[in-house]
Amino acid sequence: MSKPRRTTASDTLAIKLKVLAREKEEVRRKLVISAKEKENVRRKLMVTAKKLRLKASQLAVTAKEKEHVRRKLVVTAKEKESIRRTLVVTAKEKENVRRKLMVTAKKLHDKAAQLAVTAKEKEVVRRTLVETAKKLKISHETLEKKVLERTKYCEELMAKDEAILASIGDGLIATDKSGRILLVNKAFERLLGWKETEARGRFLSKILPMFDANGTIISEAQSLVTKVLKERSMTTSTGTIFYKRKDGTLFPVAITVAPIFIGKELMGAVKVFRDITKEKEIDKARSEFMAIASHQLRTPLTAIRWALSSLKRENLPEELKSMLHTAHETSTQMAVTIRRMLMISYLEESATEPEMTQVDLKAVLEKVVRLHDAHRQRNGLEIEVLCSENLLPETDEQLLIEILDNLLSNAYKYTPRGGNVKLRATLQGEMIRIDVADTGYGIPKEEQRKIPKKFFRASNIASPAASGTGIGLYMVYNIVRLIGGTISFVSVENKGTTFTLLFPS
Amino acid sequence: MIKHVLIAEDDAILADMMGKILSKKNVRVTIAYNGQEAIDALEKELPDLLLLDVLMPVLDGHAVLDAIQKKKMDCPVIVMSNLSDKMTKNKCRQMHVQDYFVKNDIDDEELWPAIQKYLR
Repeated sequence: MSKPRRTTASDTLAIKLKVLAREKEEVRRKLVISAKEKENVRRKLMVTAKKLRLKASQLAVTAKEKEHVRRKLVVTAKEKESIRRTLVVTAKEKENVRRKLMVTAKKLHDKAAQLAVTAKEKEVVRRTLVETAKKLKISHETLEKKVLERTKYCEELMAKDEAILASIGDGLIATDKSGRILLVNKAFERLLGWKETEARGRFLSKILPMFDANGTIISEAQSLVTKVLKERSMTTSTGTIFYKRKDGTLFPVAITVAPIFIGKELMGAVKVFRDITKEKEIDKARSEFMAIASHQLRTPLTAIRWALSSLKRENLPEELKSMLHTAHETSTQMAVTIRRMLMISYLEESATEPEMTQVDLKAVLEKVVRLHDAHRQRNGLEIEVLCSENLLPETDEQLLIEILDNLLSNAYKYTPRGGNVKLRATLQGEMIRIDVADTGYGIPKEEQRKIPKKFFRASNIASPAASGTGIGLYMVYNIVRLIGGTISFVSVENKGTTFTLLFPS
Repeated sequence: MIKHVLIAEDDAILADMMGKILSKKNVRVTIAYNGQEAIDALEKELPDLLLLDVLMPVLDGHAVLDAIQKKKMDCPVIVMSNLSDKMTKNKCRQMHVQDYFVKNDIDDEELWPAIQKYLR
């Protein structure tokens, strides 16, 4: 645009018109442009319309499709509704199931809890079991070890036993209850000449008959094995028994038989025997020596005694008489001791046989009392003799006197001054009973079991009561057995002793 | 009348002792120191009593008893032996021995009454 300048009114008008024209032109131009633009727009709209129509048709198609889809959707919706309904039902069911599951879950939970507790307990138990198992294993191992050790020990023991059995010098036989041989050892074979294989299973009495000192066969009923099986206690042979070897020769034996128990049941017996040929020979030699020595001592002693006794009757001064009296008494005492020694040697040899005759017991008692009266008076003792009438037993008078002699002299010897001694003979059933009772020193209780031993002297009398050899009672016990009697005693220290003799009438 | 006793005892001390004791009792004593001497003495003069030992040399007491029986000598016999066994005693008893003493067991005081019985 042109810049306003200082011009006239016409000019101003003309200018104004010109400007208008120009503006009109401008507008026209603008309109043209606008038309053009409108045309453009129209065209564009046409195009757009076309596009729109296309679009519309497209839309129509789409709508149709959509309708179709809608219909489908409706169907689908319906289906969905149906499904929904189904689902609702399902949901409900599921809810039920869920609830049930909840309950179940709870239960399961409880159960789990319980199981947990149980599991804990089980764990404890398991641990204990494991522990126990461990211990058991150890125990088992220990046991096994012990068993092995024990077995070894037993084997050693058995081997030892077998070795001992084989090596012992004494013959050994084991029998069953009926007396059949179960086992013998090597010494049996050697001593008797029978082989184990020959002996086993056979009756002992058939293989091994026994004989007494006179060569008389000892019956099976009297055999030690029979006795042991009956009495069920151990026993040892007394006196001499002879066995017969396979070759028929005899030899003396000492026998011990013991019962075999397994638990409390008697299974049989075991017999051990020893060949005592040597001992017998030694015994015999000893006894012979004793006998000879005694005789050699006795004969001169008898001469001395007789001389002294004869002299005593002479009219001599009192002083000499007293000396003679002592000499006579001591020599008599010596003679008694020698006699006893001799008797013991006979007894031990079993060479003494009792000589049975009818004995007037009263006379015997009086004789024995008379024999010791000097002794009694010297010791200041009282004697009381009680004897039932008509006691006339069948026995060995000499042996009976020997017994009473010993008992009475002991009573006098071991009773302090002022005491008294009772000698009492009575009938007790089929037996004669003689009591010799004193009020003496007595025998200490702990020593009483030693009484029948040779050379035993009680400790309380060894010093006060002087002389004594300790063979008297040993002899008495042996003689009593010889006459088929028994002897016992009751003794209280410082109160006295009573010996009781029982023997067949 | 003085009685006569024959002592047959081999132990001289004992025999002489017995002899002396009996002599004191006013008895005549002959001593034989063995069995043979005893038999000889018996044949020479029968005593009132024979005191006879058993164990003697040459011939023993049993032999003497046999001789007495065989020759039917009438003479009481007291045996005085140290043998105390049953067998010897029985044997002597069979031979009509009046008494049997075990000499070690007796005193002369006991023997005397027995001897006296045969000297009345």
